[in-house]
Amino acid sequence: MIYACGVDVGSTQTKAVIVDETRKMVGTALIPTGAHVTKAAEKAFPLAVQAAGIRPQDVSYVIGTGYGRYKVTFGQSQVTEIACHAKGAHSGFPGTKTVIDMGGQDTKIIRIGKDGEVDDFSMNDKCAAGTGRFLAAAADVAGVNLSEIGPLALRGTKPVRLTTVCTVFVESDIMSYLAQGKKLEDVMAGVHRAIAARTASLAARVGVEEEVTFTGGVTKNIGMVRALEEKLGVKINVSPDAHFTGAMGGALFALEKALWKESSPVST
Amino acid sequence: MPKRSHYQGKIHSLQKELITRWYNDLHALWKRQQGDKDAPTSRPVNGSVSLMISGNCIELLQAFDLLPIYPEINALQLAIRKQALPYLTKAEEIGYSTDNCGYVKADIGFLLEGHETGQQTRIPKPSLLLCNFVGCNTYLKWFEHLSEFTKAPLFSLDIPFLLSEEPSPAQLSYVKKQLAELIKVLEKVSGKKFDIDRLREILTLSSKAEELWSRVKGLAKNTPTPYEAYFDATTMMGPLYVYRGAKEAVKFFDETYRELSEKVKLGVGVVPEERFRVVVEAPPPYPYFKSFRDLFASWGAASVASTYSCVGGTWEFGFRHDPKDPLDSIARHMLIHNVCNRNFTQRYDQIERYLKEWKADALIIHSVKSCRLFSAGHGDMREYFSKEKGIPTLFVESDLEDPRYYSPAQMRNRFDAFFESLEHKKLGKKAGAMKS
Repeated sequence: MIYACGVDVGSTQTKAVIVDETRKMVGTALIPTGAHVTKAAEKAFPLAVQAAGIRPQDVSYVIGTGYGRYKVTFGQSQVTEIACHAKGAHSGFPGTKTVIDMGGQDTKIIRIGKDGEVDDFSMNDKCAAGTGRFLAAAADVAGVNLSEIGPLALRGTKPVRLTTVCTVFVESDIMSYLAQGKKLEDVMAGVHRAIAARTASLAARVGVEEEVTFTGGVTKNIGMVRALEEKLGVKINVSPDAHFTGAMGGALFALEKALWKESSPVST
Repeated sequence: MPKRSHYQGKIHSLQKELITRWYNDLHALWKRQQGDKDAPTSRPVNGSVSLMISGNCIELLQAFDLLPIYPEINALQLAIRKQALPYLTKAEEIGYSTDNCGYVKADIGFLLEGHETGQQTRIPKPSLLLCNFVGCNTYLKWFEHLSEFTKAPLFSLDIPFLLSEEPSPAQLSYVKKQLAELIKVLEKVSGKKFDIDRLREILTLSSKAEELWSRVKGLAKNTPTPYEAYFDATTMMGPLYVYRGAKEAVKFFDETYRELSEKVKLGVGVVPEERFRVVVEAPPPYPYFKSFRDLFASWGAASVASTYSCVGGTWEFGFRHDPKDPLDSIARHMLIHNVCNRNFTQRYDQIERYLKEWKADALIIHSVKSCRLFSAGHGDMREYFSKEKGIPTLFVESDLEDPRYYSPAQMRNRFDAFFESLEHKKLGKKAGAMKS
């Protein structure tokens, strides 16, 4: 059995996925990235290997992706997370034409072709407003847990209007609304709406075509899923393994390399 | 890890020599202003005139033995040497907005801090500030401020923006009339009488240099291209704008053309393995000039054409200065034949020509935060080329002068993602061709 691995070193979290030659996900790992990027990658790999119940030497090919991809020193090559998210999303939902990836500090919209290849993409520029950071900052200033803000937002009936030009400034806006006596759920609904609006304008640059698949860490937030569906007017695919989409894409690229190596009788 | 190539060749050392000579002459003028009347210059000089690169009329200055000061070149030199930031913050301290053109702020800050360049040379107080308003309306205010700060006299040359293919007779005569006025001012400033035959000689030399420059640009049509038509072309613009009209420019472009033709004969490309040919739009991030270039080289991408290398004039499509009717020729150059005085769709046409005739695979738009002139309309440009024309287009943004607007990790990511998908497309095409 041939195994391949993708290690996605993101700004906040490092993910590893191991697939077998049938393209099935057999082992995963998820740890905080921290300050030492190489160490995070080096930790995630054996964790995933263990979860897969195999040995490190059973893995034929490792691909590094994410911002820290060049620090995955034990990997054989690097692929950007744009290509990996495209591939990962497509493997989970073969009808995917548009991928929305929301990570810790990055939002990307990727339009993909029929084989999961990247046709066009757009990313947030210069600032993290409208990304996972925005949600974290909002949760922080409101004094709620990040995991609670999604369900809270769903209960909002009168979402407040918020600035989306600066993640730091939005904190004062939130405090001001709460001081005025606005309900926490309405404020949180406003936060999610603001992000959805910003994401929609980013998406318009490449064009939104169904099916739309949502990937990245923020997918765990049900409030964000609904806010995006409302803003874009389409149903959105979310995989329970959405966190691992990038690493999964990397693993699938690695598998292609591993199988190609196997099939070539002469090594170069 | 990305490969790095060595970019310094004979052309670069020739260029450096010429630019150094120019700055040394400016330094000598400054020394004369400090009392050292005998400070020598490399050729007779009657004073210095500040002017702008866009549609520059250097030939008129040559006719009066006046040395040019190009505030834009000062600014970009500071940025490349990573010395611009203290001048930018100085300008912001006295009230310039963070959104103002980085060139302006660096130049003003540089002026207020004593006008000493990175090579320890000084820029003299100009005899005249010649604001050749060609396309960039920021120029008008910039030179008004310089006049305030230096107390030098200011002459504004108003070149109307060209909305159609050709200027109207009224526009042409408007410009020529101003050129005649300018000549009177230059006579006073230089103490030299205007000699139209001398101007004709200068224009003849200009047209020789322009012909060679046009041929150099044509060499990039070869596969592989022997030089980088964005980064190297930017370097070559120095001699083009400082020495055009003098024999130095003819010599420089003659040597350049020879060396690059040799490379074409031998099939030597500027990148070791040319994988992608690109057209680039807008100025480069000067504070990150080399590392930005490495991003291209790391993917085997070479620029074959650029709009920015036409910022002082566009000569690859046939225009040459004509000594037969000097003022008419100079007026036409300023009105018609430079990229910044033309509208969006004309720029699109120019880029389309580059993509087709120079056989390019993709367009890279480097939008500049503080430059309205170049960056206005870039969103639409991206849409037009990627959606209507199906040209793979990468849109990135930073600044031409301010190092604070460049995010290396983000830039790297975008370049990697773009060339990755371009590579996939190319491989896909190859595989498709093999199957059939």
